[in-house]
Amino acid sequence: MQRINLGEFEELVLLITAVLHDNAYGISVLQEIEAQTGRQINISAVHSVLDRLEQKGYLKSYLGGATNERGGRRKRLFSVTASGAKALSDVKEMRNTLYDQIPKVTLDLNFV
Amino acid sequence: MTKQHLPEPPGWALKLLHWYCKPSYLEAIEGDLYELFDLRCQSAGEKVARRGFAWDVLRFFRWKYIKGLENSKRLNQFDMWKNYFKISLRSLWRQKFYSSINIMGLSVGIACCLLIIIYIKHDLSYDRFWKDGDRIYRIAINDRGPYTPTRLGALLKSDYPEVESYTRLNGLYDFSFAIGDNVFSEPGGSLADSTVFDVFDVKFIEGTPQGALSEPNTVVLTKSVAEKYFPNESAVGKIIKSSGDAVKITAVVENPPANSHMPFKYLVAMPHEYWATTGWWTGNNFFTYVKLVEGASEEAFEAKMLDFMRKHMAKDLMETYHFENFDDYLASDDSYRFTLVPIQRIHLNYPRLTLAESAGSMDNVYIFSAVAFFILLIACINFINLSTARSGSRSKEVGIRKVLGSVRGELIRQFMVESFLISIFSLGLAILLSLVALPYFNDLSGKLFLSTDLITVENMLWLTLLLTAVGIIAGSYPALYLSSFKPVAALKGELKAGKSGSFLRKALVSFQFAISIFLVIATAIVYQQINHMIDQKLGFNSSNTMVIKAGSALKDSGPFFRSKLLESPNIESVATSTTYPSQFIGDWGYSTVGDVKDNYSLYTMFADSYYLETMGVELAQGRFFSKELASDTASIVLNEAAVRELGWDDPIGQRLERSEGAWTVIGVVKDFNFSSLKRKIGGLAIRYDPEIHKTNWGSAFYLARVNGNYQETVNYVNELWGTTAPEEPFDYDFVDQAFAKLYESEAKFGKIFTVFSALAILIACLGLFAMAAYTLEKRFKEIAIRKVLGASVFSITTLVLSDFTKLILFGSVIAVPLAFYVMEQWLQEFAYRMELGILVFLIPVLSVTLLAWLTVIYQSLKTATGNPVNALKQE
Repeated sequence: MQRINLGEFEELVLLITAVLHDNAYGISVLQEIEAQTGRQINISAVHSVLDRLEQKGYLKSYLGGATNERGGRRKRLFSVTASGAKALSDVKEMRNTLYDQIPKVTLDLNFV
Repeated sequence: MTKQHLPEPPGWALKLLHWYCKPSYLEAIEGDLYELFDLRCQSAGEKVARRGFAWDVLRFFRWKYIKGLENSKRLNQFDMWKNYFKISLRSLWRQKFYSSINIMGLSVGIACCLLIIIYIKHDLSYDRFWKDGDRIYRIAINDRGPYTPTRLGALLKSDYPEVESYTRLNGLYDFSFAIGDNVFSEPGGSLADSTVFDVFDVKFIEGTPQGALSEPNTVVLTKSVAEKYFPNESAVGKIIKSSGDAVKITAVVENPPANSHMPFKYLVAMPHEYWATTGWWTGNNFFTYVKLVEGASEEAFEAKMLDFMRKHMAKDLMETYHFENFDDYLASDDSYRFTLVPIQRIHLNYPRLTLAESAGSMDNVYIFSAVAFFILLIACINFINLSTARSGSRSKEVGIRKVLGSVRGELIRQFMVESFLISIFSLGLAILLSLVALPYFNDLSGKLFLSTDLITVENMLWLTLLLTAVGIIAGSYPALYLSSFKPVAALKGELKAGKSGSFLRKALVSFQFAISIFLVIATAIVYQQINHMIDQKLGFNSSNTMVIKAGSALKDSGPFFRSKLLESPNIESVATSTTYPSQFIGDWGYSTVGDVKDNYSLYTMFADSYYLETMGVELAQGRFFSKELASDTASIVLNEAAVRELGWDDPIGQRLERSEGAWTVIGVVKDFNFSSLKRKIGGLAIRYDPEIHKTNWGSAFYLARVNGNYQETVNYVNELWGTTAPEEPFDYDFVDQAFAKLYESEAKFGKIFTVFSALAILIACLGLFAMAAYTLEKRFKEIAIRKVLGASVFSITTLVLSDFTKLILFGSVIAVPLAFYVMEQWLQEFAYRMELGILVFLIPVLSVTLLAWLTVIYQSLKTATGNPVNALKQE
């Protein structure tokens, strides 16, 4: 399996972007993360990760139409690329494979 | 989200964002920030929203969003620098042998510099720590006489408003303290006026400056002394006994820093009131310090001193020196002036004025700076030589680089990076080296530097400066030279082994050895001169004369002590005297008796009738004092130098007088050295005092001529002292050892020179070693062919050695005349100086040559004995 270079927060942002489908931009991702995980994050961190994921080729972006909200500024909308989707499924698969190999005892003990 | 018109986010934050943010990211970021602002306005209110907006703008100030960093040209430069570093590291690693020699040499050089820098900085920092230190002056007589009249300070203050405060000091003396039943002799005591704390801002730990020394029999201790005698308790208020007086400790102060010209350990109040109010103007007994008010001119005040002398001192001076008119006195050779010496200059420029044991010297500061510079220079030369010598092997690299489009500037940068890398490595190693060497350096310099003195921000700045200088000096020649190759010539291999630089290389090696040989000759001469002085016949028995100090503590038991001393089989004879050879001896003014009175100044000491036989001084004319003749207190004995000075053909029966009496000359002793051999024997007057042990104004010494077991004698005297004068610690000396101590500063100078010349030779030899290795590598084939044609190992070895020998001999041609000239100057200041023979030059030259031979001979032999086939079979 090709090594997938994806940090924890990157993975989270990538997942959220996929969940939001075609309405993923800075604020929506920020709000979704807060809603889903309860994590408080600065908007600049979200932007930074989105840009990085785009640089890695997992996301692509385009500018949406202007609205009266946001001081008339356009949104930069993100969507998951094919390699982004593959990365997500690879990561998930690896997780599952590994999880399945965990001896039952360990999990039992952990959940006591 | 409502459409209601909301308040705007802070304008400055928006401006900031516009200023730094890359345009491609700006719109999306700004939009998101607006949206967040609106959301926050609704949920938390405008104030929070505005603050949040500003905060977010600040948080967006990230590397990737900042304008201007995408400049492609700059990034390329950065990559080039990265590449320079990589290539440099590789080439250093490939030439491990040469790199390590370079780094070793340079680091030794830099470490020397670092140590010398802290030494010089320490010497220059003397007395800079006093508050208003630039306004404190010492009053000296003609810039050199340390002692001044009693009332000088007090009257200056009352006469002139520009004197803010004054104080008198005296010392440093050893006082003996009795605490309980224990008696200690403590050095570093200074007598001081109560005003001392007005002039010097001594830091008080306990007690206050007010009234600390205003009464007699009070003492202020420094912390170190207080802790020594009163550990874990307060010393203030304690009474200690000193020579029978009960002395009260009134305060404890901080130790004066090591860089003070008055390193007192305790201050004792001036013992007698009348010392402050009366006193002859011709008796100089005190160190006077004045602090001038801010803005007062030193020159103007110094000029006023002449009026002061006229007003207060004219009468006394005219009487003493027999002048009718004060202006005549001022015009005469005997007259003196008061001069102001800034205390901050005492340590380096006025060695006679310091209270510390050893003064610094500006000459030494210059000499050490020069030595440090030269050692560094030798190391730099190694670097230059090795890199130009190896240019041949790098010429291909330069050629290829040029062909591939390198311009000269880039090549220069490449080589400069290499030299800076070497100097950075050397710097790191140098800091380690100097830390390791610090204890030895302390030993050598007699100072106490800590590693924290070494690693300071200021020193690191100096080192960075040094590093840049070394990098540039050592790197620029190879960089300019190597980068100038024509690419075609470089690639065709026409640049054979850096031929063009070989003359320069040889010159530099000669120069290195010139410096080394110079240092070795200088060291040899310093040591020979010290030995020359020690070996001089002093004109008396110096080797077996024991001195028992503090004789005045014996008081009435003096004669008993003397008779007990003589009971020892090891002691041949005993005398008493107010001083002993090598020690301080005061010069007193005398005048001849008659119509025309001439003034003379003679070193004067008092002695009893046994002095001559005990010291082994020979009589030239007349007789010495006799204990049968009580009238001999009106007699005086001179030495031959004094008679010459006085110009008497028949000295016996002549008379000399002072204001308190007159003395008849009864005898003349042959000249003997009673002080350092740096000075000529001065005129000496010996006066008779059969009961010196009763003196209460000067020192009394028992001089014992010891014949036999010294240790046994010392033990015997120690025991005897303990029973006769239990209140005073036993202290003794031997005259020959005391004389040797006079040359300590020369010995220290010699020691430091030895170390530095050894280092210089070491670095030079390192360079030579590498050069030899390189040259032989290049001449490998030539030597093989010579061998095939029948040359012997011996002839080949001498061929190689003679090449290097020529360089060293050329160096010595420069070094020897220079050393001769410089050391002649140095020897000028000694009254008893050695003559510079040929050997003192020849031996250093030969030994350095020998050392150089040893350096190259291994490699020469290896090449000469190698099988020529190995050299010739490879193309």
